[in-house]
Amino acid sequence: MVANTREPHKKPLLQRTTILLWFGCGLIFLTPWLGLQFGATDLSWQQVLAGLLGEGSSHVERVVMDLRLPRTLIGLVIGIHFALSGWLLQLITRNPLAEAGILGISGGASLVAVAAFVVGDWIQSGDNPYGGIPFALQYLPLLAMLGGLLAALAVYGLSLRNGGLSPVKLTLTGAVLAGMLHALTTGGLAFWGHAHTELVAQWLAGSLYGTTWAHLKALLPWTALGMIGVLILLRPLSAMQLEDEQARSLGLHLNRWRAIALVVAALMAASAVGIVGPVGFIGLLVPHISRRLAGSGLLVQCLMCTALGATLAVVADTLGRTIFAPYELPVGVVSAALGVPFFLYLLSRQP
Amino acid sequence: MLRTDRLTLAYGSSDVVHELSLTIPAGEISCLVGPNGSGKSTLLKGLAGLIAPRQGEVLLEGQPLSLWSRNELALRLAMLPQKPIVPESILVRDLVALGRFPHRKWWQRDGREDREACQQAMYMTGVEALAERPVTSLSGGQQQRVWIAMALAQQTDILLLDEPTTYLDWGYQLEVLELLVELNKSRGLTVIMSLHDLNQAAQFADHVMVLENGQIEAAGTPGQVITETLLARVFRVRGVVSLNAEGRPFCMGHGTSDPDRPCRA
Repeated sequence: MVANTREPHKKPLLQRTTILLWFGCGLIFLTPWLGLQFGATDLSWQQVLAGLLGEGSSHVERVVMDLRLPRTLIGLVIGIHFALSGWLLQLITRNPLAEAGILGISGGASLVAVAAFVVGDWIQSGDNPYGGIPFALQYLPLLAMLGGLLAALAVYGLSLRNGGLSPVKLTLTGAVLAGMLHALTTGGLAFWGHAHTELVAQWLAGSLYGTTWAHLKALLPWTALGMIGVLILLRPLSAMQLEDEQARSLGLHLNRWRAIALVVAALMAASAVGIVGPVGFIGLLVPHISRRLAGSGLLVQCLMCTALGATLAVVADTLGRTIFAPYELPVGVVSAALGVPFFLYLLSRQP
Repeated sequence: MLRTDRLTLAYGSSDVVHELSLTIPAGEISCLVGPNGSGKSTLLKGLAGLIAPRQGEVLLEGQPLSLWSRNELALRLAMLPQKPIVPESILVRDLVALGRFPHRKWWQRDGREDREACQQAMYMTGVEALAERPVTSLSGGQQQRVWIAMALAQQTDILLLDEPTTYLDWGYQLEVLELLVELNKSRGLTVIMSLHDLNQAAQFADHVMVLENGQIEAAGTPGQVITETLLARVFRVRGVVSLNAEGRPFCMGHGTSDPDRPCRA
């Protein structure tokens, strides 16, 4: 047989998996340093080190340990959450545009979270106008997760027919539901029309502003659960890349594994939404970039997603804090502004 | 070993295959032929256990498919759809390795046995040299060989293929069919495939089944089944069936057999 090559040979950008993984490791350890060093007031690296070791001045220590370190770590974690969630969703829907926002998961989480703001405000609206907010913040991650999970299950249930589940139907149902949830959220907010609409609006733009160690603690169990879930899912996911019928003829319980993947993706995205609000572009862009860099190996892809998602979120937040200091741009906005040009560049390389 | 008993398959409310009973001879190449919409693809999916029967059964070794677990079934029976989706940027060796899926639990990684099975499958289909190439960079004929390699890596004794030659150039079509005959001879692989081209079915099949409106019109050796009356009745073709040098029937169509067909010219 003559080996003929009609189409040009498409290669991943960087070919050596090991190089790629070292690069990822490097990014995930180096970028947080940026988050610690730069901000409304820039510190020197000696000051950061001193702050971390507890040898700095009380001011430096407060900035590093109480403000920037938790914020940077949460940036890392939510980047991972959104990226892995988007990666899972793009795989199971076989749709390159899928991510938690488009499938209604972020929408469900946001709606419940905004409802919690409103109810919290209503319960404790007394003499103190800010009384309700801590109440809402306390339960926000859990409530948002519940909302995201409910939205995911609704999308799943609505797209089931005749015992089958088509990726196209899943995506369409998700998009429609997302639209409805978004309308409800905006409507609810307009109806509420209270003094802290602003606070909620900032949260809805996806912001790391004001995150603390408590937020990180609330988030980490879900990070662990999600990453274990992804590892368990790796093998079934490899078969899910094929057409449904072919995957089933390989012995895969397709609907079961797809549901598990959807739940893991929903948990990761919704728990992150509960802390920082819906950040859309990380979940959309990072999986694409990772696939381009990593090629087809799913393990390398998801490690790449982890590294790049974390990096993009932290870099975006650091830039958001510094460009217009003392004003802040939300991480969702900056990550979109950073990621989209790179994404377009990658698309243009595609034959 | 694989047979159907008054099998009815349906999508929604309409029956596609109706009370159909047939037996697939083990170790032979069986071809399903029939006009468009006669239910070939649906029947193949039913035989692979991918569609639950509305009535009747598909039996593998006397056991209804519903009693087989998905995984057990995948160890006995491989299925290649008509136009499978190639996962983005996947390499040939990784695609072939997916054939080992039913042989491993979800926590297990591929072992030596799996690598050997893949190696052998790629050797038999002549794609070892392409192992490190992305599947999307290959020609249609090469891609089809890779898909067959994946099905072989599954190490089943039954292979179902839905029109494996449809999107290929003529030369590649013959290449794929010759490969299937070779595998059937050397490994005793039972091959069940649907084909569009009657002459290819006549040339390569041991057993031909003619499907029309979800019913078996005729079944047997190509010589028994492919006749001028069949051409006219099932395919609406007026033609001549002669025998080639190997004693297999060979059809030549002269026109449609339907005299009432309005002329649109």
